[in-house]
Amino acid sequence: MLSYISRRLGISIMILFGSSFLVYNLAAYASDPLAELRLSNDDSAQQQIAALTRQLNLDVPPPLRYFLWLRGLLGVFVGNLDLGTTRDGLSVQSELAFAIPVTIRLVLVATITALLLGLALGIISALRQYSRFDYGMTFLAFLLYSLPIFWVAVLLKEFMAIQFNNFLSEPNIPFSWMIFFSIFTGVFWSSLLGGERRRFWTVFAGAFATNFVILWAIDLTDWYLDPGLGIFLIAFLSVGIAFGITALSSGLADVKAKKAALVMAGLAIAWYYPAQWIFDNYGSYLTIFVMVALVIGTGVLVAGAFSKIDRGPIARTAILTGVLCGFLILIDRVMQSWKEYSATDAVNYRPVPTFGQRKDQLVTEDFWLNNLDIIMHLILPTLALILISLAGWIRYSRGALLEVLNQDYIRTARAKGLNERVVITRHAFRNMMLPLSSLFVGEFVGLVGGAVITERVFGWQGMGTLGIKAINTYDLNLLMGVNLLLSFLVVTGNLLADLLYSALDPRIRLRK
Amino acid sequence: MSKENILEISDFNVDFWVDGVWYPAVIDMNLGLAAGKVTAIVGESGSGKSTTALGLMSLLASNARMEGSVKVKGEEMINAKASVLRQFRGKEVAYIFQEPMTALNPLYTIGFQIVETLRSHFDMGPKEAQARALELITMVDIPNPEQSILKYPHQLSGGQRQRAMIAQALACDPALLVADEPTTALDVTVQAEILDLMRGLKDKLNSAILLITHDMGVVADMADDILVMKDGVTVEHGTSDQIFSNPKHPYTQQLLGSVPKLGSTKKRTLPYSESAKPAPVLKLSDVTIEYPKRGRQPAFTAVKNFNLEIYPGEIVGLVGESGSGKTTVGRASIGLLPVKGGSIEIVGKEIAGANSKQLSDIRQHTGIVFQDPASSLNPRLPIGESIGEPLFLAKLAKGADLARKVEELLDQVELPRSYRNRYPHELSGGQRQRVGIARALALTPDLLIADEPTSALDVSVQARFLELLQELQGKLNFACLFISHDLAVVDILCHRIAVMQDGLLVEAGDRDLILKNPKNDYTKRLISAVPVPDPKEQKIRREARLALKK
Amino acid sequence: MTLFKRKEKATGEILAGGESAIANKEVEGLSQGQIVRRRFFRHRAAVGALVVLTSLILFVMTALETKIGPIRIPGWWKWTTEDIPALRFEDCPGGTTGCPTLSLKPGAGFGFGTHPFGQDDIGRDYFALVMNGARRSLMIMFVIGAVAGFIGVVVGSLAGFYGKMVDASLMRLVDFIQTVPAIIIAAVIGKAVGKVGPLYLALFLGILGWTGLARLVRAQFLSLREMEFVDAARVAGASNIRIAFKHILPNAVGQIIVAVTLIMAGAILTETALSYLGFGVVAPDVSLGLLISQYESSFTTRPWLFWWPGLFIISIALCVNFIGDGLRDAFDPRQRRRITKKDRLQAKLHTKAGA
Repeated sequence: MLSYISRRLGISIMILFGSSFLVYNLAAYASDPLAELRLSNDDSAQQQIAALTRQLNLDVPPPLRYFLWLRGLLGVFVGNLDLGTTRDGLSVQSELAFAIPVTIRLVLVATITALLLGLALGIISALRQYSRFDYGMTFLAFLLYSLPIFWVAVLLKEFMAIQFNNFLSEPNIPFSWMIFFSIFTGVFWSSLLGGERRRFWTVFAGAFATNFVILWAIDLTDWYLDPGLGIFLIAFLSVGIAFGITALSSGLADVKAKKAALVMAGLAIAWYYPAQWIFDNYGSYLTIFVMVALVIGTGVLVAGAFSKIDRGPIARTAILTGVLCGFLILIDRVMQSWKEYSATDAVNYRPVPTFGQRKDQLVTEDFWLNNLDIIMHLILPTLALILISLAGWIRYSRGALLEVLNQDYIRTARAKGLNERVVITRHAFRNMMLPLSSLFVGEFVGLVGGAVITERVFGWQGMGTLGIKAINTYDLNLLMGVNLLLSFLVVTGNLLADLLYSALDPRIRLRK
Repeated sequence: MSKENILEISDFNVDFWVDGVWYPAVIDMNLGLAAGKVTAIVGESGSGKSTTALGLMSLLASNARMEGSVKVKGEEMINAKASVLRQFRGKEVAYIFQEPMTALNPLYTIGFQIVETLRSHFDMGPKEAQARALELITMVDIPNPEQSILKYPHQLSGGQRQRAMIAQALACDPALLVADEPTTALDVTVQAEILDLMRGLKDKLNSAILLITHDMGVVADMADDILVMKDGVTVEHGTSDQIFSNPKHPYTQQLLGSVPKLGSTKKRTLPYSESAKPAPVLKLSDVTIEYPKRGRQPAFTAVKNFNLEIYPGEIVGLVGESGSGKTTVGRASIGLLPVKGGSIEIVGKEIAGANSKQLSDIRQHTGIVFQDPASSLNPRLPIGESIGEPLFLAKLAKGADLARKVEELLDQVELPRSYRNRYPHELSGGQRQRVGIARALALTPDLLIADEPTSALDVSVQARFLELLQELQGKLNFACLFISHDLAVVDILCHRIAVMQDGLLVEAGDRDLILKNPKNDYTKRLISAVPVPDPKEQKIRREARLALKK
Repeated sequence: MTLFKRKEKATGEILAGGESAIANKEVEGLSQGQIVRRRFFRHRAAVGALVVLTSLILFVMTALETKIGPIRIPGWWKWTTEDIPALRFEDCPGGTTGCPTLSLKPGAGFGFGTHPFGQDDIGRDYFALVMNGARRSLMIMFVIGAVAGFIGVVVGSLAGFYGKMVDASLMRLVDFIQTVPAIIIAAVIGKAVGKVGPLYLALFLGILGWTGLARLVRAQFLSLREMEFVDAARVAGASNIRIAFKHILPNAVGQIIVAVTLIMAGAILTETALSYLGFGVVAPDVSLGLLISQYESSFTTRPWLFWWPGLFIISIALCVNFIGDGLRDAFDPRQRRRITKKDRLQAKLHTKAGA
């Protein structure tokens, strides 16, 4: 196993080396950083050319200049990384250091959300092969495949930001919209749950009515001006989560797991008011981290209290329930800052931003206001990225699951008398993840490409913007910095995928 | 039928929905099975026997529909609620499938998979279930039970995997065991052990067994009752003795007639005299073949110091179990694999180290028939083109002349001339193998290599194929290297037999000498493990074999 | 080892015989090509997409004047991209100018009108601009498909057919190209060659886009190479070239076609995205991505400048994707038709009528 990893690592380093050499020379020969200056008749132009030539070693031919750059990079091993300077004389490292977290934030949130959502939709689609839902998902996937991301981003900006802000200044949901959304929700749920005609209409009616009532209540109470979930809604949702998680994780027939999950939900509800006080007084990432750790610890204890055997699955159910319920309380707390956030001068009652990753004018110490600001800026670009990468995950996971469901061991599992939940979650799911694990990287890299465009549309100052700037100004060092990071991402991603694969598959793991 | 029957099938029908029409797969089946008894369902491919097995517990694909009644311990299974089916599956009715490699989940240990079965049916703690799993693994004779329980399917041999599958099936002491071709993927010696195991366990646990198989030898070895199926219809149903000694239905008679039986053919004389041997057509001397190191897989010596000579007009059978290297010898003899040491001569010309020009000259003296009728013909080429390719490439015929020759070859293998324009997918397996022979004989070779040409065919098709091969051999008088794992087939066809094990030639000699009076232990074991399609004789053979083991 | 595998397969065949024999009834008496065609035409969405895409291409290609060397084929549309007619302001909502005249409402206004897609800010006919852009984008799409398809097939077949060192070194090359962040290379090259002309842009993008296909073709070759009919051909005396082109490639062609369609669907998005970023087709040349980029800011006042090019990109990509899906189903041997409720009902009626 160790030799396998080191071998892969060795190959990766060779590839990194080769690809950076290629990009360096390609970029160096394809572009002339002095082109503009050469055309200039200005006296200072000559001086500038000389200065830039000295600063960027332009007198050294590119293949050799690459090794100068490489020497700076290899300095990382002696604690002296030097990626050179940009044309403006800024250090490339510091430029990157500023841009990396911005892009990572964007891409990571989008990847994880798209992955979870895509997996869920793909799996349901495969389990209901050839149903209305399946056809709907197939069509949706193809549609999303065919959407240019810049076009989607511009649309989102127009309708989700500008128009929505306009709407918020005079909030009133038109009746026709309520009907439309409710019909949509009704169709979605009834085709998701499937069944004969009678069940279809029951589900449709239920979803339609629920949605309509919710929209109506939102409209009546002007909820969107001062949103929040409140303890009653949280209590209701927490119990729902407890049942849902139990059903997925260990089956509702498992009484101990069900009890443990309900206890966790109850604890979450009981903690609602104390949590408010803690959040108000000690709002910080550390607090959230400590609370997550507490939830996990409690989950283990609760599971232990209910059962001596099979603590694993029960603890899993309890922890998942606890974390999700805690997440609800967290969302509730963030929502409570909405009113204050909207009223700040920087926001001025137009809370959905269209530009940048933060509002520079928003100067506040408040943990929750700052985070709400970050979240608000994240929503639209993330949504654009999710829409783009969702299609792939739906198709891949659907295909992979259908393939696995045809295998003999699934038939064996059914012949053993296992219930469908176990057949799917235990036997099919893990096998289906094998082919998917090698796709993570490609999708992630594709998303980074998408992020370049999204950043440009939404005016984020991330890696993509840096890259575009580097290409437009023929800034070779900056370009190499961006390229290095992206290749590094790809290579680490590949390595992680290999590790994941071998972790999942004993045939690889136990190979000598 | 009696009340104490564990399984009662009455008027059972299964249909499949294909392209707008329901195709029947099982028609009006009736069957009763009591505890401690074995009923075998036999039939050729497409007879609906596997469909029956899966249909009992509604395990078929979604395009199947089932009608009639299947009662297990008096409970109806057709259109039963999913929860009822789940209760019965694994607990009352357990399955053993054909290929344990794919039938066991590759990502979980065999111990886990057995424990899972136990815990889904009994209120059992993990430790308790683990202990029971260990007990089961010990019971099915997997070596080192403590370590084996933690092994993944890919770490076990084929026979051990099937034992694990059986352990899993027996986990809940099922009343009925459905064994769907349980030994088809295994070698004969392993098959014999697995059958012994199943027989022993049946007596111990008093389960009923429904055995699905196409192998009449296995049936003779195991079954109390036999049900013969053809195209979904039950053609005959009776006790094992009745069916074997006095088959009523013409199909059963024909089926039993086509099963090759070890030691039933008359004495055969060599086409040449021992003293004045002609020059050999194929001469392998001291041949060693190695599969080179690939990536991190070490090099593997498949054949070591192999010697064999084949003389004009004789058929030599090359016998061995999977992995013995017999196919490797066949492929090397025609230059498809490089030789590491030794020499291979065909009609006096050396293959080892020949360049491609020499090789293609030598190959004009040879032909080869492959094993898998599904992949031995290019699906994109019409049959005629496949058959004519050797002639065309050897520049022996072109245009109308080629067409005429192809038609002659089709006549020779008794296929209609119009098949020239058909595509492989339109032909049955047997027809495709005939095309394979026609192609191999296109250049009227001196040597024909037949690599398990009948292993994928049904017995009746196999019988016709073997007849045809014998006829052609008699007419054209080519020498033939016939590679097979089936001793009975080799018995019918060959003048001499060579036995291989683990890349080594174990024993070679005249057919009668090898089959009646083997010297080598391995050969003895191999011969004694072959089940004979006759219950009485098989019983004697089985006891003799068990005695030999002790 | 291979021996064992073969045995499994062979015996599996016997047992699956029951069902596969029945499934075979579907394709009895049909040649390979007929089966594929029949399955493709059963995929309604794909057939629809094929019809739409074909008409779209004809529509776009004939709208404007075409120059092939000295030959000039006049287009049927009245404006060219150079014409600058006066801005129209009649009937335009909210004081805007140059709004679209296309009307699908039956009645007096039905039809194209003078400027069906409206006019841009200086009055150029937007229909002509969009047609020109679509033409560029389609051309680029096909060139990328052809270039990437050619390189992918050649590299993949070489690697898969010869194996060993050839395979190892070619596959390292593929790994290598896949590790280089495509968007950066494409942007660097796009920036350099976009000015030279869209054809060069397409060629270079094609050179970057073949790796996935090469992997696929290699895998196909590797598995087909082990097939017995290849050995049979070799014994019959076939040369390597004959084996590759007559025996292996025709059997891999289905998968290749499917992969190339998907490359093309991705290509049109890549090209438009690069043009949007300014690294692809540059003005005065026109491409759909460039149009969107140029008129992005005028979305609030003249949304049609944004909608039309987007609509064309989506329609083209969607059609190509659906055709690819239809082809995949058509070439997939495991493809089985599903049973709908209607089918079941009909079957029941049949059995009753028969009884």
